[in-house]
Amino acid sequence: MRVLLLYAHPVETSFCAALHRTALDSLRAAGHQVDDCDLYAEGFDPLLSREERLAYHDETANRQGVSAYVDRLAAAEGLVLCHPVWNFGYPAILKGFFDRVFLPGVSFTLVDGQVKPTLHGIGYLAAVTTYGGTRLRAMAMGDPPRKLFNRVLRALVKPGARARYLAHYDMNRSTERSRARFLERVGIELGAA
Amino acid sequence: MRVLLVYCHPVAESFAAGLRDAALRGLERAGHEVELLDLYAIGFQPVLSAEEHRNYLTASGERHPEPEHARLIAWAEALVFVYPTWWYGLPAMLKGWLDRVWTPGSVFEIPSDKGPIVSLIRHIRKIGVVNTCGAPRWYSILMGQPGRKTLLRGVRALCARRCKTVWLAHYEMDSSTPESRAAFIEKVEDRFSRF
Repeated sequence: MRVLLLYAHPVETSFCAALHRTALDSLRAAGHQVDDCDLYAEGFDPLLSREERLAYHDETANRQGVSAYVDRLAAAEGLVLCHPVWNFGYPAILKGFFDRVFLPGVSFTLVDGQVKPTLHGIGYLAAVTTYGGTRLRAMAMGDPPRKLFNRVLRALVKPGARARYLAHYDMNRSTERSRARFLERVGIELGAA
Repeated sequence: MRVLLVYCHPVAESFAAGLRDAALRGLERAGHEVELLDLYAIGFQPVLSAEEHRNYLTASGERHPEPEHARLIAWAEALVFVYPTWWYGLPAMLKGWLDRVWTPGSVFEIPSDKGPIVSLIRHIRKIGVVNTCGAPRWYSILMGQPGRKTLLRGVRALCARRCKTVWLAHYEMDSSTPESRAAFIEKVEDRFSRF
């Protein structure tokens, strides 16, 4: 399948960069066609502008500044996010991808004020992510990124799409062993995508 | 009380701007001292860069990437956020403000002994949020209200232990009416005059 891999971390030597490489290699080794979208390397601008906001509900004009990204999302049969969790949410560059590219006419349409999801070409979802704090702490905070994945994103794609949320919690106290095990797990899971 | 109001919307004549002004009027009536940060107007840059990430753990004081913003957080006794909810969360601009400004050494510390993180902003004893949502309230709750949790749980956990919170939202913006919007503006002004 065609997989859009959205990657958001600024540092090439980070653990997240290693996760990104593992995800990319495993998906390719499994025979998938991967569109590797490195938001930092591509210099993605995450800010919805005044003009974009004013044209937001015009389903032809709203995509003018991001049409290449809209086409890449529309071509995807699988969507994989690879990112760190910062301050209980996505890094701004990834949040901005949703703000600017998940537009009316692209990921949903409004029919009589009701949202109708339209990304039904996507039958596979995965997130590969790291948290500074523990799972317990994330749960106490309501784990916003997990909810965005499990509830919001899953509601937009093909009903019943396979979805895997892979997270290494407690990075501030991670060990070489915990990181190696997580890399291995990511390789296995995405190799079976 | 010293209040830092962080406002985020790209359109100057938007409903969100009206909400900002209503909150400001209310706070002024109550006699609070307010500093306004209008993130789009000042051209805030929300993307945490590679260099900032490398220096993340030592970026306090004058080495903070946005020392003026860090100073405002140290000064404030209350935070108020006014923004539109997009995709159930904060606009990238506001999320990037947290990413770049809420750093170790100014807002919290990660102890070297692997203990839990330590807050440096226990002086903040109130958080107010004013926002607009396209979705109905029940659907926002079903989706888990990620934006509300980022601010009223994540950010609040660093503030004073009994930090109070105020959450005001106009849901179903796409079917809002002039009456519903005017009523909400009034509600915001009234609530912040008792903040």
